[in-house]
Amino acid sequence: MYVNSPDSTSDLTARVIPCLDVAYGRVVKGTNFKQLLDMGDPVELAQMYEQQGADELIFLDIKASVDKQQSALDMVYQVATHLSIPFAVGGGIKTLDDVHLFFHAGADKVTLNTMAVEKPELIDQISSQYGSQSIVVAIDVNHEADGELAIYTHGGSKRVDVDYQQWVNEVVDRGAGEILLTAMHKDGTGSGFDTDLLAQFGADFPVQVIASGGAKGPQDFLDAIKAGADAVLAAGLFHRGEYTVGQIKEFLIENNIKIRK
Amino acid sequence: MQNRVKKNGSRVGIIDLNSGNLLSIKTAVEKVDCDLKVIQKPDPELLKTIDVLVMPGQGRFAYVMNQIDALGWREFLLEWCRNGKRLVGICVGMQVLFEGSEEDPEAVGLGLFEGRCQKLPHPKTPMVGWAKLNSYKLTLKDGFAYFVNSYAVYDSPFCTAKVTYGHEFCAAVQRGNLYGFQFHPEKSGNFGKELIKYVCQ
Repeated sequence: MYVNSPDSTSDLTARVIPCLDVAYGRVVKGTNFKQLLDMGDPVELAQMYEQQGADELIFLDIKASVDKQQSALDMVYQVATHLSIPFAVGGGIKTLDDVHLFFHAGADKVTLNTMAVEKPELIDQISSQYGSQSIVVAIDVNHEADGELAIYTHGGSKRVDVDYQQWVNEVVDRGAGEILLTAMHKDGTGSGFDTDLLAQFGADFPVQVIASGGAKGPQDFLDAIKAGADAVLAAGLFHRGEYTVGQIKEFLIENNIKIRK
Repeated sequence: MQNRVKKNGSRVGIIDLNSGNLLSIKTAVEKVDCDLKVIQKPDPELLKTIDVLVMPGQGRFAYVMNQIDALGWREFLLEWCRNGKRLVGICVGMQVLFEGSEEDPEAVGLGLFEGRCQKLPHPKTPMVGWAKLNSYKLTLKDGFAYFVNSYAVYDSPFCTAKVTYGHEFCAAVQRGNLYGFQFHPEKSGNFGKELIKYVCQ
């Protein structure tokens, strides 16, 4: 769908999305569960990625501090008033009221992971109240040693008894506008996105799929889009300064992919 | 006499139809140095105190039209346009400038443009993301714009830019001082900023 061709019926471009982990209103990097490294101000980093050509940003509050802390909402407001590209926010969303607070503060989309599994009707509620384009369901999937695809919640720490294929279909039926698919077995490995998983979503799949986990270089982004991803997400590779968003996009454009310049 | 801070741009009114968050569009208009006012209800005074009306809209076609009627905007907007004043409709705010929509066939649009909205024949709807405008009018520079829509007007003699998603549609329309953008200029990066500057100043 995103390869340039004369008989294409879509001008939509494939999106490149940097992901920022935040805690207490700051961008952080987790070295282990207790220690968080301060990586900087969310607004400054967001503006830097916008200038590099990011199509969208995703902020994940890894401390899930929304119910107890105003910091997450203040951050969303600051980002919204300084950014002119769309962004999604996730982490700590438990109720429809939380969702309302995030949208009121200026978020374009919310991302659900744990609560999508624990309270799936929240997907329906968000979708019917704000539209399916406003809800991204994050699916953390792990290729287990026995070959099974297992679903995890709580930031990848808790395996839940949910069938992968059924879960994918269910979130679509409930009204999710996008699926953020993180292949946990690829995360941090630098061995590329899981193109086999991505290829299972055909061109007729009714929602967009954001590929996440495993990116090391530009070729991985190209492979993911060719396999069927509508968007590609990465964190470390951008934050460590190994590649700019612009460099990744340049490579994709050279390889005939529809990309926003 | 009190000194009032004089800004360079025109006086812009954003119509609040209680249809989506206005934060982004407010921020975008403020950034191009325009005087900004959010307006809930029409008032004949606005013809003198406001230069540009911006009408954002999210949600269903019928909901936005109901809000327009309930708050008394229909007649006012027609009068506004008869006076040759500038009106900018964004997203569903553009769609309601037309006669109606397949989304809610019973709802009657403002009819400022002829034509009706139709569903985009694409497996993944709504269309969410960026697309390059195919613009053939000099008033609109080529650029990438951010779209969030399931319905669109396929064609109009006043189309100024086209985009394809399952079917070709009007990404922008213009007739004199009446502008419509199917995409979200307030979310369309630098291109969007330039466009807002262009229509607001």
